[in-house]
Amino acid sequence: MKFMIQSYGTQQDYDGMAGKSTETPPWSQEDFAAMAEFMTKFNAELEASGELVETRGLAAPVHTRRVGPGTLVTDGPYAETEEVLAGYWIVECDSFDRATEIALRLAECPAPPHVLATAYADVRPIDEGVPPEAEP
Amino acid sequence: MHDTAIEDVLRSEAPRVLGAVVRRYGHFDLAEDAVQEALLAAATRWPNSGLPNDPGAWLVTVASRRLTDLLRSEQARRRREDVVAQGTPSDRWRAPAADSDIPSDDTLVLLFLCCHPSLTPASQVALALRAVGGLTTEEIARAFLTSEDTMARRISRAKKRIEDSGEPFRMPAADGYAERLAAVLHVLYLIFTEGYAATSGTDLVRHDLSSEAVRLARIVHRVLPSDPEVAGLLALMLLTDARRGARVSADGALIPLDAQDRSLWDRDAVAEGTALVSEALRRGEAGPYQLQAAIAAVHDRASRVEETDWPQIVRLYELLLRMSDNPVVALNHAVAVAMARGPEEGLDLLARLADDDRVADGRRFHAVRAHLLEMLGDEAAARAEYGEAARRATSLPQQRYLYARAERLG
Repeated sequence: MKFMIQSYGTQQDYDGMAGKSTETPPWSQEDFAAMAEFMTKFNAELEASGELVETRGLAAPVHTRRVGPGTLVTDGPYAETEEVLAGYWIVECDSFDRATEIALRLAECPAPPHVLATAYADVRPIDEGVPPEAEP
Repeated sequence: MHDTAIEDVLRSEAPRVLGAVVRRYGHFDLAEDAVQEALLAAATRWPNSGLPNDPGAWLVTVASRRLTDLLRSEQARRRREDVVAQGTPSDRWRAPAADSDIPSDDTLVLLFLCCHPSLTPASQVALALRAVGGLTTEEIARAFLTSEDTMARRISRAKKRIEDSGEPFRMPAADGYAERLAAVLHVLYLIFTEGYAATSGTDLVRHDLSSEAVRLARIVHRVLPSDPEVAGLLALMLLTDARRGARVSADGALIPLDAQDRSLWDRDAVAEGTALVSEALRRGEAGPYQLQAAIAAVHDRASRVEETDWPQIVRLYELLLRMSDNPVVALNHAVAVAMARGPEEGLDLLARLADDDRVADGRRFHAVRAHLLEMLGDEAAARAEYGEAARRATSLPQQRYLYARAERLG
């Protein structure tokens, strides 16, 4: 069974991680290095266990282009504090519980306290589609 | 027999074996699969049996046999006429050992084939890494942050295209040679830069790809020792790669050239690169890779940043600008001019680039402007420009670097 683990962030969260001062303090180099180390290890373990299908981090929401009806294109459609998809993992594992267990480990990721206080992730099963007809 | 020793043998033999098989039987597409299977057979058998007397010949024999099987099943499936590989005169290809007279030429021909003009650069890169570099599809997929499925499909489509082009397995004719060699060098350069400035993710440098590019460039240089641009490219890679250890701090932050601890630079690589480019430049008119290598060599020669010979760098960039209308070169030229003659002149040059859509909207343009404004002492403007640059950057370490510069002026 495949699941998508989704993490979220706002433009402000991204700015903080990029070292920009906003209403909340920016991440220090130590914070950033600790996060990068955790993620590298987290991904390596998932890869080693054979459960990782793929993972990506998305660039800041400000780089978003939204296409609407017709040829309408809007740059940066999100508000500064709007929570949007920040990254995802697609994992293949034996059960929903195992996928949840993986997602729960993300709570151990080092980050400044004000980020940790509101961080969360979603685990969603991926639609497997209709299995193909058996070959004659 | 150590597995790593076997792996080394396999990696160096792989392109020659593939070259030998394609040279004899054509069918690049299937030959590549056949060679992969032969390599796999060797990897499982040799650790117990030890190396055969002539590993190359062994691999050619096994791969040829496998190719015959593949062709047969292909033919059966397609109900085609039996064209090739009736019987297996194994002594014919066992004889004088896998092209022992011109082993490395086959590797080069293979590289030329992988850089076929009907392929996109991304496909050329993938195919070269697989067929010549001997990387697995999974390794290539991981290096380019794409899924194994996607990469497998890209590689197999590329092989099919080459097969369909009907190009014979030999060096390109004189009229197309220069263009094809340029494509080969471009592919090697792409592999190198992908490894050096990983375009995404939190890791700034993906070492393996840079090393692989250097290894392949060495092979091409060994076969074409008198080509100055080949030497120039290899020199450029060595001189850039020499700074690897100083480019990223222990906690993963990006360190610009002027702030690097130069004692961490690899002196052997600098010496080798400098010797290569000096020798190449003596042969006559300098090409773009030689000029870029020469610029890198000037930087690497300065043991402190203050000792950098900026006027010389300006001259080299001017030669480079005459050869190509490359906006990145124009930006670097502006920096060199600012360092040699002061920030005002650099900013004047930048102002002329402001209408160029290829740079004016990008991170690099604003980062350069910010640096020059900072040199000028206009802190408020510099701070704003660093912010502009950071907003446009999509790599977190780059953003952190730019915001840190802005904060420092705060």
